[in-house]
Amino acid sequence: MVDVYHPKTLEEALQFRSSTGAVPFSGGTDIMVRYRTSHGVLPDLPWPIVLLGHLKELQYLRLRKGSLCIGAETTLTDVMDHELTPPLLKQAIGLMAAPALRNLGTLAGNIGNASPAGDAVCALIALDASIELASPRGRRVVSLDLFIVGPGRTILAEDELITEIIVPIGEGHISWYKKVGTRRANALSKLSVSADWAVDDNVLTHVRIALGAVAPVVLRCRDIEDDMTGMKLPEIALQREDLMNRYKCSITPIDDQRSSAAYRKQAASNLVGAVLDEMTGGR
Amino acid sequence: MNEIHCRINGTDYTFSFPGERRLLDVLREDLQLTAAKEGCGEGECGACSVLKDRRVVNSCMIPVAAVEGCEIMTLEGFRQTPEGRCIVEAFSDSGAVQCGFCTPGMVMAAASLLFENPDPSEVQIRTALSGNLCRCTGYDMIVQGVRLAAERGRGLW
Amino acid sequence: MKERISSPVRRVDAYEKAGGYARYIADIPFDHLLYGKLVRTSIQRGRITGIALPDLPEGYRFISEGDIPPGGVNQINMITSDWPVFTTGEVRFCGQTIGLLVGPDRQVLHELHKAVAVTYDIEEGSSTIEEGLACRGGAFVGEDNIYVEHRLKKGDPDAAFSQADRIIEDVIETGFQEHVYMEPQGITVEYSNGQLVFHASCQCPFYIRKAVAPSVAMNLEDIIVHQVTTGGAFGGKEHFPDIIASALAVAAVAIQQPIQVVFERREDISYTPKRHPSQIIFRTALDRNNRIIAMDVDARINAGAYQSCSAVVLQRTMFSANSVYDLPNVSIRGRAVATNTVPSDAFRGFGAPQGIFAAEMHMSHVARLVGEEESEFKRRCFLKQGGRTVTNGTIHEQVLLEQMWQDISLESGYYEKLKSNPSGSFRGIGVSYYLHGGGFTGNGEQALIDSHVRLKGMKDGRVELLLSTVEMGQGLATTYRKIVASALGIDISRTIFLDPSTNRVPDSGPTVASRSIMVVGRLLQRAALQLKTCWDGTREETVEIGYEHPPWVEWNQETLQGDAYPAYSWGICVTEVEVDRASFEVETKGVWTIHEVGRAIDEQIVHGQVNGGVIQALGYASLEKLELKEGRFYQNTLADYMIPTSLDFPPVYSKLVENPYEYGPFGAKGLGELVFDGAAASFAAAVQHAIGRPVGRIPVTPEYIMELMSDE
Repeated sequence: MVDVYHPKTLEEALQFRSSTGAVPFSGGTDIMVRYRTSHGVLPDLPWPIVLLGHLKELQYLRLRKGSLCIGAETTLTDVMDHELTPPLLKQAIGLMAAPALRNLGTLAGNIGNASPAGDAVCALIALDASIELASPRGRRVVSLDLFIVGPGRTILAEDELITEIIVPIGEGHISWYKKVGTRRANALSKLSVSADWAVDDNVLTHVRIALGAVAPVVLRCRDIEDDMTGMKLPEIALQREDLMNRYKCSITPIDDQRSSAAYRKQAASNLVGAVLDEMTGGR
Repeated sequence: MNEIHCRINGTDYTFSFPGERRLLDVLREDLQLTAAKEGCGEGECGACSVLKDRRVVNSCMIPVAAVEGCEIMTLEGFRQTPEGRCIVEAFSDSGAVQCGFCTPGMVMAAASLLFENPDPSEVQIRTALSGNLCRCTGYDMIVQGVRLAAERGRGLW
Repeated sequence: MKERISSPVRRVDAYEKAGGYARYIADIPFDHLLYGKLVRTSIQRGRITGIALPDLPEGYRFISEGDIPPGGVNQINMITSDWPVFTTGEVRFCGQTIGLLVGPDRQVLHELHKAVAVTYDIEEGSSTIEEGLACRGGAFVGEDNIYVEHRLKKGDPDAAFSQADRIIEDVIETGFQEHVYMEPQGITVEYSNGQLVFHASCQCPFYIRKAVAPSVAMNLEDIIVHQVTTGGAFGGKEHFPDIIASALAVAAVAIQQPIQVVFERREDISYTPKRHPSQIIFRTALDRNNRIIAMDVDARINAGAYQSCSAVVLQRTMFSANSVYDLPNVSIRGRAVATNTVPSDAFRGFGAPQGIFAAEMHMSHVARLVGEEESEFKRRCFLKQGGRTVTNGTIHEQVLLEQMWQDISLESGYYEKLKSNPSGSFRGIGVSYYLHGGGFTGNGEQALIDSHVRLKGMKDGRVELLLSTVEMGQGLATTYRKIVASALGIDISRTIFLDPSTNRVPDSGPTVASRSIMVVGRLLQRAALQLKTCWDGTREETVEIGYEHPPWVEWNQETLQGDAYPAYSWGICVTEVEVDRASFEVETKGVWTIHEVGRAIDEQIVHGQVNGGVIQALGYASLEKLELKEGRFYQNTLADYMIPTSLDFPPVYSKLVENPYEYGPFGAKGLGELVFDGAAASFAAAVQHAIGRPVGRIPVTPEYIMELMSDE
């Protein structure tokens, strides 16, 4: 049995968190699985928890200074259904678990869980999202890409909570999403690819390609993105195989119960090829 | 926290359980509301589905403290409502029921869908049921059951 | 107008289940209930050297071999008695019962369970058929790890092979499959006045009674088994409840209080039996016109660490190894191989799906190699009425496969799609033809079961059905009542069917082998017709009827020669797929089926079985990967063991063809297993066509397709 805190406000939540070290608990859809035991037995939680999923002040979507700001405890269902949500994020959430879990799960939970297979994280990283962290000491904003540092590891301080996800609105951007799950629905990712790019006058002016479940963290290859930026589309089409290969060499997938490293490498490379085709109108 | 307040099937309750205790255990063991089943205990099968503020959730994933101030509806409550009767009858007529273990969860998932979308397409129905595993039916007759409930229940939803 | 028997009625159990009124074992309260948690082996093979228990608080007990009462034996009485109730020394697989922790509070039990420490001498074990045959770590069954071996011969295969123009060799493999009945295993036991009373989620109440009796040295009459509403079984609750019940029996006699064991899902996936993996090796002889003149089959199934029913499963595999084809010269060798894995056991199809998958894939491989369209190639070899089976039995019934093919090939657009999507176009269509012998293999109905049913006419005009075959989701409560009501000419509402208890029903046998309608339903029909002659609905009258074998069925159990089954049901499945060029994921675009099951007792129930069976088989074919890692199942949660969801496959087209069987009730034959048998091969054949390469095993995962594609 552990202490379970049910704060009425964010302020109270921060107090509980900083004074007791309670672990943030959003929808619970990861924590309750990891520490599950058996019917009639309490979950084996190793630490106190502070419940956050009910905090209305962290449930919103609104535009601010060219960015979409999403309250960290907004349920995945509400994020997915909202008109302001970018299509890439909608697609990614739409393929996460199933409605009942999406009604509980939140972006803060998916981010805080820091799984390399986190589908919303993959899309958010391709969208250059950052997150706001709050503590009694104040607030800071960090790039999501830098927030997660390893499987299950983040730079969240002991007294901090994730309060907001900030997604820049890429006017005129094009996006592409593909999840290869263990089945067609209600599945975990074997790998996923999120891409977001912009083209001006046949020149690629912006590109982000994020790969999920093929490395210890959701992976972006900035060097390849930098090389592609500024290239003319036909040139990218010409370098298709080379670019696919560079991605293939950059990823370090593992064998696990869901798939094999060899498959993840091959499929990721093929899917990068599909992104490039979509980009350049090839194939 | 010391006390948990919530409304279950229209009745107000105050609990003083350990806050991390699963809602599913509270429903089944303390309130003898056994329509929600445990099929996996980890949110994969949907047999434990109930409505939380009219949306379907997996009660095996919810610490009871998290339902503070919420309205929970299980099949025992839902079957007393016109909407509940409509789905139960439609499932019965459509061949949607075989072993029946997944069925209460399916009914709750269907309810959540129809509350949001009274006239769903086949794909929308299949998406709404995608978190509820059934090993007997192959799903087609459950999908038909939801469609029949939508048709018969026009105006209800 | 008289209603056709096949016209659907609302299932008698639908409302109570849809409304959440039905009570499964975990829903039923018992006073002073204790809970049991199994302590299991955690190594694949070796010996237990010590068991260290934590201090048990008052009211908690650890039940193990020492608690077996005087006169009892540490054996579970199944088809053989090799499986002990409690493991003491030898460990044959990971998950064997060592003992049962019993107590009132599950939280405490959970903590105690974590604190049990078992030490072992670890030995090398075997997981695969190859490792079992190679006696990895030394043989532990006989000298060769073979539980049972059979050989069959039809015609003169040696002579035919010597005249072959060409010989084609092939290896076809299938993997484990987990049942995933949605309700995990669960039993509650009570003990009072010298009687053991079980309340079980199960298929075979009389099996449990027989299985536990020797371990507690009790008379069969003092052991009562009530079947309770059962949330799916598929063969997984045929024998495994015996394992739980045996440990519970010993505990209940020792403690004399009600005890319940309900598995959680991980436990269920990790430690309960699976479908037998198979490896079937073919050598096929062709003449110069590319006609098959002989086939040699070597079928191996992975039986696991104890025998259970593997000997009978092996027979089904062998008898199905030519699918629906009448080949002139055939030799079949079959072996059930012992390995250090959870014992494999019954699962819908009972060995037939492995044999049929192998035969269908091999025939399609041969067709591809000789450059013929596979449906044409296969159809030339169809069994016909009067044709000979691999056990040199006769097909007594009219075979409608050709007519069924005309129908379903048109409905599915098979030939057009074949033309518009050439091999290797990433879009493909495949077909499989299949059959399933109804009832027990060989003389099982006579020799093993001798089943009886009883009908009790009552004063109020109602009739109670008394028999031990159970409703487990497949609709028997409805179809049985329909059969009796129709035969008596009364309304179904005047019939009663309650979940059986061994103390009030005769033994009509286990709920297995597609026998429940064809064999037991027939008994009910006969009983009803007899009751009709002697009961007017105003007084009590009871009729009991026993099994009679169809007189023309000849079978020799020693030589496995003759009519292995009195009648067969038939099916065809067509599947269309598209393979993603980047991820190699397969999208199923369409599934079309046609089945001949004699006559449907209820069309809605039959179509429901078709849909459920086909989707379960498509899961087997594509998603349900289950691997062993150091003797443990790697995909042991429903997050990792993938069964189909509502979005994985499209609606299944299902059509029925009538061909009434004289010895089935209203002409009905077997159904439940047939509808599982064929879809896997049609799916694999479709993928094979889409990628232009032969597929030799299931599940056909994207990873496997990638492997095949890189094999340029």
